Amino acid sequence: MKHVNTLKAVAGGTAAVAVLSAGLMSAAPAYAEDVVLRMAVPDWPPTRIMKDLFDKSYKAKSGNNVTLEPDFIPWPDYYTRLSGSLTSGEKRYSMAVSDSQWLGAFIEGGYYQKLNDAIDADPELQKIMESLNPALVDAYSTYPHKSKNYYGFPQMPDVLVAYYRTDVFCDAGEAAAFKAKYDAALPCTPEEMNNADWDMVQKFGEFFGRKKGENLSGKALDDDFYGIAYQAGKGYDFSTMQIASMIWQHGGDIWDETKAPTGKAEGVVNSPEAVAGFERYLSLLQYMPPVVKTGTMDIFKQDELFREGKVAYMINWIGFAESSIDAKTSKVSDKVDFAMAAGLKESDGSINRTYNIGGQPFVLMTWNDETTNTEALEFVKWWLSAETQVAFAKAGGQSGLKSVYEDASYNDFRPWNHAFGASIGNQKDIWHIPEFFELLVQQQAEFDKAITGQQDAKSALDAIAKFQEELLQETGHIE
Amino acid sequence: MSATDKKSLADRLGLKVHSGVGNAGWGRTVFAAVISFIYFFPVFWIILTAFKTHNDALAIPPKFIFTPTLENFVAVFSRAYSAGAAAQDTGFALYFFNSVFIAGTSVLLALAIGTLAAFGFSRYPLRGNDTYLFIILTTRMLPAIVVIIPIFLMFRVAGLSGTYIGVILLYTAFNLPFTIWMMKSFFDELSPDVEDAARIDGSSDRRVFFKICLPQVKAGLAATAVFGLILTWNEFLFALLLTGVDTRTVPVAMAQTIGGDIGVRWGLLAAIETLFLIPVIVVTFMLQNHLLRGVTFGTIKR
Amino acid sequence: MKKVWEVYPLRVAFASIPAALIVSALAITLLPPSVSFWVSGAVSAFSAFLFVAYAWGRHAGGLLVAPAIALLFCMNIFPLLWSFGLSFFHYRANRLAPPRFAGLHYYEKVLTDPVVWDRLQVTAQLVVLTVSLQMIVGFLLAMLFAKQFPLRRVLLILVLTPMMLSFVAVGAFFRYYYEPTFGLLSQAVRVFTGEPYVLLQSTAGAIAGIVFADAWMWSPFVMLLVLAGLVSVPKYLYEAASIDRISHWRRFWNITFPYVRSLLMLALLFRTIEAFKLFDVVFLLTEGGPGTSTETIAVYVYRVSFQYFKTSESAALAYILLFTVIVLTNLYLYFANQRNRT
Repeated sequence: MKHVNTLKAVAGGTAAVAVLSAGLMSAAPAYAEDVVLRMAVPDWPPTRIMKDLFDKSYKAKSGNNVTLEPDFIPWPDYYTRLSGSLTSGEKRYSMAVSDSQWLGAFIEGGYYQKLNDAIDADPELQKIMESLNPALVDAYSTYPHKSKNYYGFPQMPDVLVAYYRTDVFCDAGEAAAFKAKYDAALPCTPEEMNNADWDMVQKFGEFFGRKKGENLSGKALDDDFYGIAYQAGKGYDFSTMQIASMIWQHGGDIWDETKAPTGKAEGVVNSPEAVAGFERYLSLLQYMPPVVKTGTMDIFKQDELFREGKVAYMINWIGFAESSIDAKTSKVSDKVDFAMAAGLKESDGSINRTYNIGGQPFVLMTWNDETTNTEALEFVKWWLSAETQVAFAKAGGQSGLKSVYEDASYNDFRPWNHAFGASIGNQKDIWHIPEFFELLVQQQAEFDKAITGQQDAKSALDAIAKFQEELLQETGHIE
Repeated sequence: MSATDKKSLADRLGLKVHSGVGNAGWGRTVFAAVISFIYFFPVFWIILTAFKTHNDALAIPPKFIFTPTLENFVAVFSRAYSAGAAAQDTGFALYFFNSVFIAGTSVLLALAIGTLAAFGFSRYPLRGNDTYLFIILTTRMLPAIVVIIPIFLMFRVAGLSGTYIGVILLYTAFNLPFTIWMMKSFFDELSPDVEDAARIDGSSDRRVFFKICLPQVKAGLAATAVFGLILTWNEFLFALLLTGVDTRTVPVAMAQTIGGDIGVRWGLLAAIETLFLIPVIVVTFMLQNHLLRGVTFGTIKR
Repeated sequence: MKKVWEVYPLRVAFASIPAALIVSALAITLLPPSVSFWVSGAVSAFSAFLFVAYAWGRHAGGLLVAPAIALLFCMNIFPLLWSFGLSFFHYRANRLAPPRFAGLHYYEKVLTDPVVWDRLQVTAQLVVLTVSLQMIVGFLLAMLFAKQFPLRRVLLILVLTPMMLSFVAVGAFFRYYYEPTFGLLSQAVRVFTGEPYVLLQSTAGAIAGIVFADAWMWSPFVMLLVLAGLVSVPKYLYEAASIDRISHWRRFWNITFPYVRSLLMLALLFRTIEAFKLFDVVFLLTEGGPGTSTETIAVYVYRVSFQYFKTSESAALAYILLFTVIVLTNLYLYFANQRNRT
């Protein structure tokens, strides 16, 4: 029976190679006395700038050799990667940049570290917490929501603002025609645009919706043009952020976790005010680019349509602003200005601009050893020092420190900064409970059916209220 | 008039119902070229986009004629991550190497292990042979997401997470079921007569395997290698979750272009994809000979 | 003269199993995980070695398949068994609470969940449409390339490239092709209608969009498999057939098809299994919309396990899926073998 010898040798050899290479390649990296802050971060400018500033100017006070090792992960897959890493227990990261809504899910899992003790023990951190805008602390740090338990520090705060085309809104001919049609002045400067409410936005939509060949600002259009755009996509939270804002503005509410366990979903989520807010949202979709009919007009598509010059007025995150004024990526780079996003005009003439907050906090992990944790907190203090925040803001980021964004010079850093400072106080956030994603996915699907015309506002909100009432009762959030 | 003069149009274009390997001539070339270009068009558009500036990429009407630029290809390797910042290395060269190394090693490994196993299943059936084969197949039936958490745990305990060997072993396992089933169906088709004759002549099993069986299944080996390579090359989920900063592969890095501080970066995405296509195309082209020549000697059963 | 490994009895190999188990259990309780893993690995390897040594020279088949089975066990079967265990417990990966026994609770829950049935229907629809389209297109393409003709190799590469693309690029670009403002499809339709064409606004349109993209990407897979079968048809059979003046159709059915059949069946099997897991294209093209009309079971599994963290429920769901696929595959293989025999 010698025939099979070589076959066996091949089989054995393959196994041996596998085992050998396993041994060679899995040798763990050795650490000296150095401290590595391994941080999961989404791959985009605010985190890239952070790494850049760190490498240029960070010097640990302790004398330790601290390095920041961000794991840059593409935004579209960031959640999958972070949740995979955390829930598997691989304990790879000592810090992470986390969306605020993920707090509950990952705090309950025992991954994100409660920071109260650290803050209590460190006057410097206390000072930072006090100088942050309270809306940011609520959204980025507290769990349960608006409690006194702190878990995060702002990395990059973000708000929804209005982007608009100055060549369209400041054109004398268009202004005259607008005046003639609506007996209202067409806003041009950011101050004027700050006064725009939803009625005005509806007029923008109606007025600037032009077909190919028609004139816009005196020139014939080579393609259809649309008045307005805001997010209406099924993915992630790409319609909820706008819809929740409009529901709040109209006096409605989402299920409020701070009122648990007595706060209901049924009757709140589908209250007449909420329905009115959602109906207002749906009524404006007809003025938007046709992709809105597919339910795929997410924040990225909107941004693209605006940069390609298809839209006159858009509400989107500040995070997209940089690419809209960069001539390399934007066809309208020299004709963009920014204002606060539109809101609902109240009876007293003021505008209710309650919006859903964006941006992300840093969190620290529970498994950090003491040295790493101390250095991580030192890093946070450095990041949230006025000096670093100013440098970050100058490079295109935003700061949540009152002393920084309230300073008059802040508005000169970037053309949209005036809208940031004015808006940041009006921000609320959706749920932070661990069941956040279940609530979100079901809600996005129902919203999507309404956006694509398969149901009306009332039945969408009824379905959402019913689902939330059941789920939240089951999980003990509603009695 | 002889039969050959009465060739129909379909005959001349080589459109007749297939009747075996043979020559079809230029008529077929023209026809196939038309079909191929239509089929290829979406890819062609991606490649075209790779050479467009940002402003040309979404132009209306779509641009077929434009001034080509290499800026996207430069940006694949080095670009500024925020306005005003200096261009920095994107790490693409490393990702590319990782992709080549990981995909190449795991495909070869799967081919070696899988071909042996397929030969075993085909020539030395075990008790419950079909059951084994079926269990092997079932490992491909579930969405990868289902097994990811236990794999994560295992990798962590074994110190494999973020290492080359971890991903390579995983991809090898990932490629095995197809390799085994594919190669087994090729081995099954071989005629046993030649092997028996060789054995009677005193050839060893080894000789039979290497000198008689393997050469006959070259087409199968080539096809299996191509499929394995393609699947591994573009695998996304495991790569996203199980690679570290140093072992990340191109598909993961590619996702960076479809959302962040801007909508899709069309030019950059297209350029990465174009560069990423080259190795698979080259390998496929090289293996094509085996793929298409098939078996020349009539040792097939039936 | 017999060598040592040719005489020692199988008993030794079998005896090594409990020994290995005891050593592993001790190692796991006494040593830190990173060490005990390797200790357990070493003892199991030793046990495996004893079996290999026994089989050396006696069971060539077993030896040949052993490396493959071992690797698959570590990388696939073990994780599958792990989640199988979890499916009988109350467990959420993002909660600190330890697993509690749940019996068949989650199986009952999944089987009575109308959402699951809805997602399965969506999946079935997509699988049937995309796989049949792939089989037809793939087969036709293979016929086109079966014969030798000038430039065949180059043209073949053109047809093969779609399946070499990564999902990210295919998803992003097909979304662009279908997009009403910039998209090529809409631009082409506009030449005739003057209106932007919005493919993905209806359920039917969304399904068509997904099926087209997926089938376009994977038809070359079917083509290549069929082609590999076609080139293995011995020439002499055709020569004999042409002497006998057999019609083209008869020649195709009696000579060509039998050679292609087993590979065609394999293509069908693998494409069905893959289509059942359809995820990336759906997620990138429609996110399961409009509403949930294109949300496949794979997308749902992702949501349950990674977004909702209902770990046990997702494990139960996965096992019900696996069971379904196994039954379907067995039926398929049974019929395929029946036809082979006749």
